[in-house]
Amino acid sequence: MTTADRDRPPPAESGLTEAELAEAGLAESSARKPIAGVRLGFGGWLRWGWRQLTSMRTALILLFLLALASVPGSVLPQEGIDPAAVTQYYTAHPALAPLLNRLSLFSVFAAPWFAAIYILLFASLAGCVLPRTFRLVGSARQRPPRAPSNLARLPFSASYATDLPPGEALDAASQVLRKRRFRLESGDGWVSAEKGYLREVGNLVFHIALLALLLSVGLGGILGYKANRLLIVGQGFANTPTALDVFRPGRLVGPSNLQPFEINLNSFQAKYITSGPEMDQPIGYTAPLSYRAEPGDPLRHYTLSVNHPLVVDSVSVYLIGHGYAPEFKITDGTGKVRWQGPVPFIPVDPTTMISEGVIKVPDAEPTQLGFAGVFLPTAVDVGGQLQSAFPAALFPRVSLVAYAGNLGMNSGSPQSVYQLDTTGMHRLPIAATPLAPGQSMRLPDGAGTLTFTGYQQWISLAITYDPGQLPALISGFAALAGLILSFMVRRRRVFVRARTLADGGTEVMLGGLARSDAAGGFENEFADLTKVFRNSGTTKTAGPTAPGDAEHNPALAGREGSEG
Amino acid sequence: MPVNTGLADVSNALLFSTVILYAIGMLCYACDFAFARQRVMAEMPARVAVGAGGPPVTVPAAPPAAGPATAGPSFPQENTPDGAAQRWPVGFWQRTAFGLTCVGLLSQVFAILTRGIAEHRVPWGNMYEFLAAITCMAVLVLVVVSVRYQAYYMGLFVLLPVVLGLGIDLTVIYTPAGQLVPALQSYWIAIHVTAMIVAAGLFIFGAVVTTIYLLADRSERRLAAGRPSWSAGILQHLPGPVILDRLSYRTVLFGFPVWTFGVMAGAIWADHAWGRYWGWDPKETWSFITWVVYAGFLHARATGGWRGRRAAWIHLAGFGCLMFNLIGVNLLITGLHSYAGM
Amino acid sequence: MSRLSRRARSLVAVGAAALVVAVAGCDGGAIAQDTPISSGQSFVSSSYETTVFKAGSRPLAPAVSGTTITGKPLSLASYRGEVVVVNFWGSWCSTCRAEAPALGTLAGRLYDRGVRFVGIDIRDEPDSALAYMQTFQITYPSLNDPDDDLALLFRATVPPAAIPSTIIIDRRGRIAARIVGEASYQGLLDLITPVVAERA
Repeated sequence: MTTADRDRPPPAESGLTEAELAEAGLAESSARKPIAGVRLGFGGWLRWGWRQLTSMRTALILLFLLALASVPGSVLPQEGIDPAAVTQYYTAHPALAPLLNRLSLFSVFAAPWFAAIYILLFASLAGCVLPRTFRLVGSARQRPPRAPSNLARLPFSASYATDLPPGEALDAASQVLRKRRFRLESGDGWVSAEKGYLREVGNLVFHIALLALLLSVGLGGILGYKANRLLIVGQGFANTPTALDVFRPGRLVGPSNLQPFEINLNSFQAKYITSGPEMDQPIGYTAPLSYRAEPGDPLRHYTLSVNHPLVVDSVSVYLIGHGYAPEFKITDGTGKVRWQGPVPFIPVDPTTMISEGVIKVPDAEPTQLGFAGVFLPTAVDVGGQLQSAFPAALFPRVSLVAYAGNLGMNSGSPQSVYQLDTTGMHRLPIAATPLAPGQSMRLPDGAGTLTFTGYQQWISLAITYDPGQLPALISGFAALAGLILSFMVRRRRVFVRARTLADGGTEVMLGGLARSDAAGGFENEFADLTKVFRNSGTTKTAGPTAPGDAEHNPALAGREGSEG
Repeated sequence: MPVNTGLADVSNALLFSTVILYAIGMLCYACDFAFARQRVMAEMPARVAVGAGGPPVTVPAAPPAAGPATAGPSFPQENTPDGAAQRWPVGFWQRTAFGLTCVGLLSQVFAILTRGIAEHRVPWGNMYEFLAAITCMAVLVLVVVSVRYQAYYMGLFVLLPVVLGLGIDLTVIYTPAGQLVPALQSYWIAIHVTAMIVAAGLFIFGAVVTTIYLLADRSERRLAAGRPSWSAGILQHLPGPVILDRLSYRTVLFGFPVWTFGVMAGAIWADHAWGRYWGWDPKETWSFITWVVYAGFLHARATGGWRGRRAAWIHLAGFGCLMFNLIGVNLLITGLHSYAGM
Repeated sequence: MSRLSRRARSLVAVGAAALVVAVAGCDGGAIAQDTPISSGQSFVSSSYETTVFKAGSRPLAPAVSGTTITGKPLSLASYRGEVVVVNFWGSWCSTCRAEAPALGTLAGRLYDRGVRFVGIDIRDEPDSALAYMQTFQITYPSLNDPDDDLALLFRATVPPAAIPSTIIIDRRGRIAARIVGEASYQGLLDLITPVVAERA
């Protein structure tokens, strides 16, 4: 490792040559040894690889790769968001779909190659940001460098003449700079000032906050869980795996880690616009609940609605869907009642709330029975076809097709309760006439009777526990604050040199350098500084000081005699 | 509460007149380029007097730096005959154009306000309202930058996409005033969507500047190589590529934190409404992609070999992602974010 | 002010990067949502897993009591001194239906050796539950648990992680084993036999 590798500063954006940078103290040591045929060992190659990974260019490339990799995740249907759409894609593109699946294009954000990109990006980020943090802490006490000898070669420079002797001119300049909170360093005939360290602080805070964000998301995923539950009005449930419809625990979450709250759904109201151009559009949903944080706690009440989740024991419960659950009473061939109660039907069209569902009666005698059909909240006959005209249940009708045979439930392979597998069943020859509440459907051959007894409503809840949520929020805001700070602050240096002129006056030379000022703006500050410096001297004439000026500045009088 | 259709009609009429005003303003800007006398653009002065009395100092015309001005903004100013810098537009055509732009902006602001009052809610609930709002923001940025940096030359180029966008908005995308679906009924709409509108307006302006920069840069290179350049005629009214590049960078410096905040506010609202703060919904994904590409632009500006033209192309790629996010995702892909109302 | 040596700083940087990698890698699931196989209603497990507790380290079973599907009151405390096999089931659950014959047979065979089977019925209406018991000729009682209070009781000790779950309680009221998933006749018998052999 050469000395040149140590303390590599952030890239300067001022576009100066290396020599000029070196003069202003911004580059590493200019003493470079020519390298002649060095062979890298294994460690050397690792270091080279690490250096490549943590370079700006690699970060750029990885950033673009990340953006590019996200594109298929938004254009193709994703398993985690809409599995039904994925199935549709398979049927629409039977040849292409399996190939896409092998490339994990139906679950892009869980794909190993996507993880590789963001992991590499964050490794690059960590490897670059952390050493720079150490460097920043180390340089917190660093003094500004020596002023270059030829200030005219800096991007901004100016000079003026003054009557003050060099030392006092420099003192006056130092005072101005100190008042503007520059960090100063002075030497023989020069003053160096630097300001804007907060820019690097903001920059590092931003990037470290991004790391913290990723960590929070990861921890939240490991220690948190997500679940769904469909709840019919009048039902209740407790937060335990056997009661949840979908349960996605983090890696370290077990059934005993679930917060044991209980929720009962007391009622549900959905309001719709009843007339005008926006008819059918929902206005609001409200679901009054009663809940307990733990068994034995007092019962509390809460009205759940969209955008107003219930928070119980740091778990959030959200209202994400609703629908209808028509109620049936089914008797089988022996005359016994084998089913009595509501069955949730799933809405297929959210505007009209036409819902589809199945009823499975696996314990009907002599054969198992199954029914599949639609529920129409406001049934209308449009040209022989049944449709729903309005999402509220103003005219509810149910139309079912009946099957008998083997439901396939006794074999043990899990089936969805919302889907009927008719491979082992035969359709019963009875028309699917729409039933009004109270009406019955008598199955042929004495197989049984189905009565549509009424309907209930149901809501679906999303239950989320994410301990990483608050840290992620804090990291996000820290990142934003760091970002704004780094954009607003400029790192800049100002140098002042004063020397006596041959004809007795003092020439003050100023030089300025902005390390990170690609947006401009430093020239205003420099011009302003120049003006203030000039005014801090006493006389403003260009040429040698006139003897009469001694009255204005007593200090000059003493000096006059010593000037030669 | 039912919608006040009378006020909604007033809003439509105001937006229509906005388009007319902008269109005429655009023509006036073009006339300014064509007819107004040749102006001397004080681009990068080789010598600048620093204070009266002192000897003039030579400032090296190093490539990325502009010479210090005595005072005022860092962008070149118009030089009127008496040498002083002008803040306000110069010449009949420029004054008329700018005046029409300002009146049009007021008209657009009132169009949005009346629509909001008619609907009894914040007026960004569907694509029609959203597009009207971001074009309004883009023109606001134009007006502010014009005055602050004497950048009246940008008027024509910014108004062109704005007029086109509003035209499409009023014809194809138009949606009558109405109420919000329950998922949008939250105070977060005033925070998240507003931030996105401000950022989008800034990014629209930045994209226009970047396009002009690329044209100017290409024209300069062609002229330096001795080849003809068709855009040189218009471009002589504009400052050099370096200034345009800086203006484009400054726009992103403002817009990027606002976009970041908008994405975060959206995540907080999503958690509030849907139970998760990030679900890779298409709109979320594309706003993330947009963020990453603009972040890439900022990194490119700090990486050797990527400044200038390459960074400008990255900027435009980011803007492309933004446009796809706003329009493509709404129209082509359905997800939780499908509130286009179409 | 102390300065870490270059090597120490590099190590910290690499270590931090590795930590980030580990956390992000361990949990790819949070970044994306994986849809597990489920029946759409209650977390039905398609896997099989057993947990056995050795004699000295068995958790105490909770005090389970409630109403059966037929309306009679029932409490596990009344079975003290006998081996109790608690089975969580639902008539709508295919895996439960597949294991029902094994459970019914075992319940009958082991009754004389002091083994009592008790079912806990999840998310069922009384009519469907009774029909299920008739189909599989299940004679042992089942408690009705519409609000999951009974499942919740097991939370602190050995919770039913999915449906079906079977919990074996020894003669002293301590949980000896748990099966998650479809129990087979032989598998269940192998787990019950050593517990039966223990003295109260």
